[in-house]
Amino acid sequence: MANRALSWKRAGAIGWRDLKSAPGKFGFVVLSVAVGVAALVGVRGFSESFRKTLGIESKSLMAGDLSARMFHEPTTEDQGKIASILQKKGGGIRSTWVTETVSMASAPPDPVPLLVSLKAVDPAEYPYYGTAELEPAMTLKQALDGDSVVVAEEFLIRLNAQVGQTLRLGGRNFKIAAVLKQEPDRLTAGAGMGPRVMISQAALERTGLLAPGSRASQRLLMKFPEQIDPVVLRKEVEQALPEAQVMDFREGNPALSQGLDNATAVLSLICLVAMVLGAIGVAMAMHAHLEQRMDMLAILKAVGAGSADLLRIFLLQTLGLGLAGGVLGVAAGVGVMAALPAVFGNLLPVHAVLEFPWKSVAAGMGTGLLTTLLFCLPPLLDVRAVRPVLVLRRLVEQGPQGVGGWFARWWARRLQLGISAVVVAALGAIAWALSDSAKVGTWFAVLFTAALVVLLVMAAVALWVLRFLLNRIRLRLPSFLRHGLANLYRPGNQSAAVLAALGLGVMLILAVYLMQAALLRDLRETASPKLPNVFLIDVTTDEVAGVKEFFQRQPGVIQALDLMPGVTGRFTSLNGKTLDQLKEQHFPRRMLENAELTWADAPPAGDKVTQGKWWTNGDVAQLAVGTGVAERLHLGVGSSVELEIGGKVRALTVAAVFRADGQHLASRISFVLPSGQLKDQTTEWYGGAHIDPKQVGAMERALFAAYPTITVINLADELDRIESVVNQITFVVRFLAGFSIFAGLMILASSIASTRFRRMREAVVLKTLGATRMRIVRTFSVEFSVLGLLAGSVGVVFANILTRVLLSKLGVGFHIEWLETVVALVGTAVLATATGWIASYRILGLRPLEVLREE
Amino acid sequence: MIEVRDAKKWIQNGARRVEILKGITLTIPAGQFVAIVGASGSGKSTLLGLLAGLDTPSSGEIWLDGVPIHNLAEAELAAVRGRKIGFVFQSYQLIQTLTALENVLLPHELNVEGSGLAQARQLLEGVGLAERMEHYPVQLSGGEQQRVALARAFVVEPPIVMADEPTGNLDSANGRMVLDLLLERNRKSGTTLVLVTHDPEVAGMADRKIVLKDGMVVEDTLPFTAATELMLDRGVHG
Repeated sequence: MANRALSWKRAGAIGWRDLKSAPGKFGFVVLSVAVGVAALVGVRGFSESFRKTLGIESKSLMAGDLSARMFHEPTTEDQGKIASILQKKGGGIRSTWVTETVSMASAPPDPVPLLVSLKAVDPAEYPYYGTAELEPAMTLKQALDGDSVVVAEEFLIRLNAQVGQTLRLGGRNFKIAAVLKQEPDRLTAGAGMGPRVMISQAALERTGLLAPGSRASQRLLMKFPEQIDPVVLRKEVEQALPEAQVMDFREGNPALSQGLDNATAVLSLICLVAMVLGAIGVAMAMHAHLEQRMDMLAILKAVGAGSADLLRIFLLQTLGLGLAGGVLGVAAGVGVMAALPAVFGNLLPVHAVLEFPWKSVAAGMGTGLLTTLLFCLPPLLDVRAVRPVLVLRRLVEQGPQGVGGWFARWWARRLQLGISAVVVAALGAIAWALSDSAKVGTWFAVLFTAALVVLLVMAAVALWVLRFLLNRIRLRLPSFLRHGLANLYRPGNQSAAVLAALGLGVMLILAVYLMQAALLRDLRETASPKLPNVFLIDVTTDEVAGVKEFFQRQPGVIQALDLMPGVTGRFTSLNGKTLDQLKEQHFPRRMLENAELTWADAPPAGDKVTQGKWWTNGDVAQLAVGTGVAERLHLGVGSSVELEIGGKVRALTVAAVFRADGQHLASRISFVLPSGQLKDQTTEWYGGAHIDPKQVGAMERALFAAYPTITVINLADELDRIESVVNQITFVVRFLAGFSIFAGLMILASSIASTRFRRMREAVVLKTLGATRMRIVRTFSVEFSVLGLLAGSVGVVFANILTRVLLSKLGVGFHIEWLETVVALVGTAVLATATGWIASYRILGLRPLEVLREE
Repeated sequence: MIEVRDAKKWIQNGARRVEILKGITLTIPAGQFVAIVGASGSGKSTLLGLLAGLDTPSSGEIWLDGVPIHNLAEAELAAVRGRKIGFVFQSYQLIQTLTALENVLLPHELNVEGSGLAQARQLLEGVGLAERMEHYPVQLSGGEQQRVALARAFVVEPPIVMADEPTGNLDSANGRMVLDLLLERNRKSGTTLVLVTHDPEVAGMADRKIVLKDGMVVEDTLPFTAATELMLDRGVHG
């Protein structure tokens, strides 16, 4: 028997000619796919390049082959152990210490001090890899000779200083020798507090800033020849400095890589939303297209084509559209990738070397094609139901009505329903692949599907309510308004789906904005008069009495200075398990190895006991733990811990769990011990006071003059810094969420384009009956803007609900932002109207006869 | 009165010019029922479109009650169409999102001050659709849709009604009903009726038959019955 199937080539040719017949409509379909692919390729491509940069430059990013970071000054014993390792390995290994801390500095004669990030290096050794770029050009050795320092440009700008001027630090004057443009291991310092200042180790020593217990971190850098095995050396260093975080060049920057991976996963999922919306748009367009092609399908069936042949034509068509969208998306995505460093601003301390991201392009193309094909399968399968009798008569008998008919219709679509389930599962799998987490993938698929279903139901309800009202008052409305509103229910309009898709985009972008606004407002509210707005760090025990007296004399103090002691300790076991045994459980090792402790024989102000009871005797072997830390470390009342303080290990039992209000000074420390356990240890004091903001500058100057080593953190400055970080992060998220809005608009445009013929006919009938262009413009504008307003309403309602839920999880208050809500509503209406007209403006110029003759 | 003076219509198809109408000259006095007939592609619908101001001639002139509509701007043309011409199409051309009543009301709202609601209802009752006023086109049969289209064509009481194959999509009973309604309008209100048709029976009912072939008028006659009636009216016979 001859093979009757339509060849792939023939099917492709028919599909291609069909595509060419409606370039406008399919143009929007291609754009719908491109939007998601562009976002995904952009984000993942940027991440891929950034990771590559981290890998290539890991040695220079560390400024050495190996680094060991500790949060206390190396003891003589530590120094001895390191020296013996170096000796044992023979020559060839070089090492140097880098000290990082924060301090106050000023540029005389201006006495206003500024909080700076201070880094002390030995310029004869540092850096082993990479270079410190200075302006004017010179070597670090030349620049840090004698009493001179190099500073970041930001320092000069903020203090209105210049190279060659004096910088005052810890009671001593230094000459600013150059501007520090770039330092290789900038990343390891993280987002520093204040402008960067680099000084030589010898000079730092002369300032006396490094008192015992100060908050400086110490980093041992090593450079070793190739024949030395980094694994063995690393082990030896870890044994010699058990409290240090040791890293070698093979890891690059694990903290940053992890952060980058997390950010990429979250942003990829946001992009996936845009991509899925795009795929829904394509599916809707294909559904509308097939409805319009009923005659062609019936003719093909009448001349012997089977459902498989028709499926082949439209599958090839969908594949072609997906590919075209993918290619366009990749091109746009590479543009997004190049733009991302600009929108991330100075959040990223190194610039990724941008390369063509092959892996991300493959991921974007693959995901785009897969989602498009999957989402299009249910509408494409409808071709099986087309009956050839349509060539003879348009109306085919209807199925049974009522509940039985409803079930029969669903039963007839069981294959589509089954495929929809597969689509949801595949969506989960794609989300899993993008986020690298099965749990995230599952939740994404479930929540996204649930959100879409709820939005669809909401949209359908909104349309039903509008129609209900319209039916009651329609004849009292002006004609253009009535006509415009009635158009929302035009056959093939798919208004509910457009509303849901556009609403989802609005919801995403507004929710991100509302979250940002709420978090920033919460930050500002913490500056209430009863709470500290100025914090002191690096106060030594000798200075406590003098500082207290200083604040009593100081004008503008609204809330008196509160001082809290801080001691560093190291947990050696929790609930009987050593830190090594706990390593697998993702416990924050640094928090345990350099635990900040304080003492108090009653719950400190702002802390509320939630479990257990606070001790009354200051000598008991107990401790209290903050709720967050207790949850993370699985500690509760009665848990046993071993804590090494000042070289001595103590066995303690958790007596109480407390919740800190996050606003008092005590919130800084999560481990509180009885006074008897800590009083004799080297102590660093923290202070907090509320000072009239106008007097903060004068207080800072006076305190700097009297106590140059004490660092003041002005919360107003801090708020600015946090605000700018939050703003930049939310900008990136909003930028990407914007792709979802765009995808929603593409769906709208595609839906409008697919009903173009109906619109054209309406427009010319109206013209025939005497309507002017303006009247047609008004009628269609009502339709588009009401669609936008409804989508905006659905979006803002859900954005507010989502924000409220998320904020309550974070313990932050929620207020409705009316202005933003109204702007989102009006903005969506304007965008929808503009998109509507872009997709259909040509119909205005049509002559009636051109269209009526086509009938 | 409608006057057509040497109207030509052609379209440029790449380098080739396709001539649809090759110079038509005719006059249609007020109140006349004119049937335009001809084979497919003879230019009937194009001529109707020019007469109604739905399209403009490539050359020549079209005058409607002394107004040169071939020269009018789009908005002016829309106003002329709205007030002077009612249309009936083969495929009804109702707005799918509006009810039957709203469809009939539409020309009144576009062209006339004040409410046309009573008039629209009356017209729908007149075409036998009193019970179907709130129905959407999709809920009506073909014959019912065409009767809605007739009511819509009459609502502003235009002096001219133009119909393009109005019975072409209907069964004979519905076709007859539609034709009767059009003729009744023509006879009772003295409305000029210009009708394009393939159907010789329908053409036979007209006062005048214009036959087109390849874009030219090849015959412009009064049908036998109409001529006889006309002669009887004028007392020629007997």
